[in-house]
Formats: sequence, structure tokens, C-alpha cells
Amino acid sequence: MTVTVLDRRPAVIDHASASGAAVALRGIGKAFGEHRVLHDIDLDIAGGEFVAIVGRSGCGKSTLLRLIAGLDTPSDGAVTVDDRANGWRDAVRLMFQEPRLLPWMNAAANVEVGLIHAPRHARRGRAAEVLAQVGLADREAARPATLSGGQRQRVALARALASNPRLLALDEPLGALDALTRIEMQELIEGVWRQRRFTAIVVTHDVSEAVRLADRILLLEGGRVAMDVAVDLPRPRRHGNPDAAAIEGWVLDRLLRP
Amino acid sequence: MRRALPWIIPILVLLAWQAAAQLGLLRVQVLPAPSIVAATAWHLLLSGELMANVEISARRALLGFAIGGGIGFVFGMMNGLFALSETLTDSTLQMVRNVPHLALIPLVILWFGIGEEAKVFLVALGVFFPIYVNTQHGVRAVDPHLLEMGRAYGMSEATLFRRVVLPGALPSIFVGLRYGLGIMWLTLIVAETISASSGIGYMAMNAREFMQVDIVVVCILVYAALGKLADSAARLLERTCLAWNPAYAKA
Repeated sequence: MTVTVLDRRPAVIDHASASGAAVALRGIGKAFGEHRVLHDIDLDIAGGEFVAIVGRSGCGKSTLLRLIAGLDTPSDGAVTVDDRANGWRDAVRLMFQEPRLLPWMNAAANVEVGLIHAPRHARRGRAAEVLAQVGLADREAARPATLSGGQRQRVALARALASNPRLLALDEPLGALDALTRIEMQELIEGVWRQRRFTAIVVTHDVSEAVRLADRILLLEGGRVAMDVAVDLPRPRRHGNPDAAAIEGWVLDRLLRP
Repeated sequence: MRRALPWIIPILVLLAWQAAAQLGLLRVQVLPAPSIVAATAWHLLLSGELMANVEISARRALLGFAIGGGIGFVFGMMNGLFALSETLTDSTLQMVRNVPHLALIPLVILWFGIGEEAKVFLVALGVFFPIYVNTQHGVRAVDPHLLEMGRAYGMSEATLFRRVVLPGALPSIFVGLRYGLGIMWLTLIVAETISASSGIGYMAMNAREFMQVDIVVVCILVYAALGKLADSAARLLERTCLAWNPAYAKA
């Protein structure tokens, strides 16, 4: 099988900055027993870039994200972050589809989980600061059970952002939210990313979400990168942009092609 | 008014009992009237006999519970956390579990006589299993997603245990605790009734020898009160420790 990589990515990414980690994948493969999930993936992600990985379920997109986040090790090849093969896991933060908050701790203490490497005395203040940033300034003492689904995911985002990660990996983070909450969360994520300029990689099955958030969309098919699309649209992005709709249609066509 | 509802039936039963005794329907040798039982209880309380025996029984119960529960907790944690430990010990423990611990009384009397060790040993053995099984189950039932999150966020194994595994296993541990408390009293009653020279159970058996039915009834009521007290304490602790859990939070 030949791999079609349409490299339409602009050569220079204007917003790339020192605060985002550059990720390089060389010959990455992953197998679980006999089952090969990823095949020989070569990929470069520039510092500060916002990349979306889309594909059908079972195409290996979550596996790829877990490898980049250091949650799993590849069977073949190597992942390097800023040219380093290891020792970068603390610079990476993950957000999952479920908030995965500790139900026995309040919102602030849950955010402090993301500050485990920070000095103890600095944690409380920092947690309050990040909670305010995600719009939950008054809910510090609230336990997860008393928060709505969207609020819980905001706490999870605050936890991920608390340590100022240089790479934020998001595994279908908005998949379980209702449509309106999802739009709010997309705005929030785009907002903090524009402000902080970390590298962001989001896995999603929702192509319109990918177009809404990312500079670049990778389409994964059968464990290979089948398409690499640049999304060169102005930010902050608004829904209903006709150019976005065109890109979305194009990616969907490719995705649905038998 | 609603608060009074649960008390209606007990009060009616008490009144019927008193009436039956006074009308001569219940012979004193079978069941003395509540007023007589109350008078006896008051008398035993004043003489200090009741409290001395309660203290002895409570000490046996709590010591046995601490030993058996402590060992059960440690094994439950080990076998919930480490596959090797489980492979090594679980099937043995399950075999021992299937021996009713009260069936060991003759053996225990042969080993320890009627000393304190016999009672404490039996209580510890009885309490061990509910605590062990529920602790192990609680550790297993901790959401693997939370464990993965903890590791991804750089928690050390010790931190992971303290902040994720232990609180996650706590609801199940409390089930074991309350179940264990029930077994604790049950075991103690049987052990004290069969072989003892002090304690509530001994007091009841001793009174039986002299046909003092009123004292026997007092002893039974004391057991009931102690059991209820232990359960209420456990529930209070449960509500405090599990306040985060909507299923336990006080409405």
C-alpha cells in the first residue's frame, strides 16, 4: 500500500514559538501482539503548532497520541520532543475524553494534581489562577459530583494547563459534551492556545472540530497518515466560515471514500 | 411527627409485653415484665457489675477486631495491588475462609483454655475475612482511568496509593468494616457463652444457672445496644470519610 501524503503545510508557521515543543516521529510502528495498529509513521510537528488527528474509529489515532504523550512506547521507531528521546514527559500534559477528576478532592485540589512537580507552597495560588482562567473562579471548593459535565472538563483542562505544558495532548476531549458546551470549550481551548502558544495535538472523530481548532489536519487510515492538510484560516475562528466548510467537506469526502 | 413513626411499633410491643406479664399470661420464669428487666438493669448498673463486664467484653471485641481487621486490611491491600502476592496467598486464605470459625471453638479451648487469648483469637479470625475480601475488592474496583491519569501526571507509586487507590477503595473497605463489626459481636457472644469467666456472655450464662431470667434479658439487650452503637459509629465515620460520594453524603 502506498502512502499519500499531501504536504500542503506552509513552510513557515508564523506563530511557532519557543514555548511549544517540537515533536518528531521517525519510522513509528506499534503492534499489540499480532495486531499492528500503526505502520512506519514519519511526522514533524513544529513548536506551537495546533494539529488535529482525524480518522475512523480503530484507525490508530488514539494510539498515536498516546505514543506522542509518552503513555506508551512504540514497537518501532522513535519519538523525540525537542530532539530529545526521553526526559520530556513532564513537559507534556494530557486531557482525556472523560474528565478523570478524583471525586474525593475539590476542584482546586484536582488542579493541584497537575502541579505535582511544583513547590508545595506555590500550588494553591497557581490552581486558583488557572481555575479562574477556565471560568471557574468561584468553584474552587466544589467537588466533581456537584459540577456539570462541561465544568468538570474545564477543571480537567485547568489541571492540564496548570504546569504550563509545552505540549498538550487532547484525546477526544469534547466527545462527551453537548453541542453548545462543546462550542464554548472549543473557544476556550483556542483562546488559551493563542495566549500560551504551546504545541497542541487533538485527536477527534469530528472533522468540523478539527477544522475549527487546528492549523493542520492529519487523516489517519489503516495505521498510516493518508492525508496531511493545512488549515490556513484566520483566528479566532468563527463557526459558519465558508472556507472552513469547504475544507471540512473535502476531508469528509476523503474519509468516507470506500 | 414523621420522626416518631419508627418508634410506634417498638412501643406497642413493649406495652403488650408489660400487659401480658401483669395479667399473668407470661410467667416470670419465661419472660419477666419490662419493668422488672429495667429495675434489674438499674440495679446491675449501680452495683458496677454490668459496666465491669461490658468493659471486659468490649476490650476483647476491639482487640480482636484490631488484630483481625489489621491483618485482613494488609492482606487485602497486598493481594489487590500485587498479582504475585495474590497468587501466593489468596487460594490458601479462601480455603481457610470456608472453615466456619466458630467450629474451631473446641480446638481453641484446647489451645488457650478459657483465657483471654481464646476469645481474642476467635474474634480476630472472624473479622479477618470480611475486611480482607472487601479491601481486596475495593482496590480492584478503583477506576483504571484514574490510575492512568495519575501516572500520566507523574504521581509516584506512593502518591498514587495515597491519593487514588486508598480513597477509591474506601467505600468497599467500609462495607467490610460494618460487616466485620457484626461478626465481631456474634463471635464474642458465642465464645463468651461457651467458655468464659467474665464478660456479658458469662454473666448471661451464670444467671441462667440460677434461673435469673431478668439478668439474661438485660445481657441480651446490652449486646443489642453495643452492636447498634458500633454500627452507628461506623456509619458516622463512613459519612465523614465518604462525604465526597453522593451516595453517602447526608441529604
